[in-house]
Amino acid sequence: MNNPYRLLGLVLSLSGAVLAPVFYFIVDSVALTGTAISEVILGITCIAIANARPYISPEAARLLLRTGMENTSALIEELGLTSRAVYLPSSMRGGKAQALVPLTEEGSLARARNSLPGRLIVRYGAGTEDMAIAITTPGSVSLELLESRPGPAPGEIESALNYLLHGVLDIAGGCRVDIEDQRVMITINDCRMGYEDIWFYRCLGSPVASIAAAIVAEATGSPVKVAEERTEKQKSLIALEIVPKD
Amino acid sequence: MKIFNNLVITLVIVFGLLNGIMAFLGQNDLSVYFIVDAIAYLIITLLYVYLNPRARGALNAVSGVIFAGFLVIVAMKVIEILK
Repeated sequence: MNNPYRLLGLVLSLSGAVLAPVFYFIVDSVALTGTAISEVILGITCIAIANARPYISPEAARLLLRTGMENTSALIEELGLTSRAVYLPSSMRGGKAQALVPLTEEGSLARARNSLPGRLIVRYGAGTEDMAIAITTPGSVSLELLESRPGPAPGEIESALNYLLHGVLDIAGGCRVDIEDQRVMITINDCRMGYEDIWFYRCLGSPVASIAAAIVAEATGSPVKVAEERTEKQKSLIALEIVPKD
Repeated sequence: MKIFNNLVITLVIVFGLLNGIMAFLGQNDLSVYFIVDAIAYLIITLLYVYLNPRARGALNAVSGVIFAGFLVIVAMKVIEILK
């Protein structure tokens, strides 16, 4: 019984169920009986949401995340990749969203073909410099948690981000999305997985930026890059750039 | 989970306020307490749109039971009036 919601639910339901008849028949107070009934409703609600909590502890989830991050960091550092990752929609990667980290700065993802081969090292254009490493990021995996693909409107992207970051993953408060030309500005409140100046984050962005970029790429059907990420007055500001196609 | 905590706290505050107001107004019909609490519960759980599918399903089940109770009480009141 280490689920606090279940314990709270049982205590509230049982005490409410015992107190309701006592208040009604013995104390003869309708108001207190009504309160006891509310207590039962609250208790049942707590038991219901106790079963909706994740099966694994936050520590176990953190363990898995760090393992993946350190392996990807090692790969990126060993190859000496300094380019920023470009998040591709699933339509460009055979149904699986991934990020491409160009091997050189000279390549241009604007020349990328509409459907790229599903390999680790990818040639995305005709030029010899158009080579990249394909990486599955936290953002790529988080798309599977969405119930439906969001549309390109700022409201739809905002709704998808709120659902994932606040409702499902509980790593941020609300967010706001503004789109101007090819630039998407996202303001996230109360972000609990912020940016750190490490190679992994410089290349792929923080986990929250990764999720945001993956959602925007999927919503717009275009490659997206994390242009800038900073924290200002307890808000995370993420600037994404939609890579135009040639 | 912060969103779950917010939901529970919101329900506690709303139920407390509604029951307090009805007690202050001298409401003596228990079914009125239940109906008002049920309506408040249904509205609040509907407003929490960003819950994960499992939590949403669980709350929908609870809402269904509460709504069924609400309908039973309303039916009994209607029968009473028609008699």
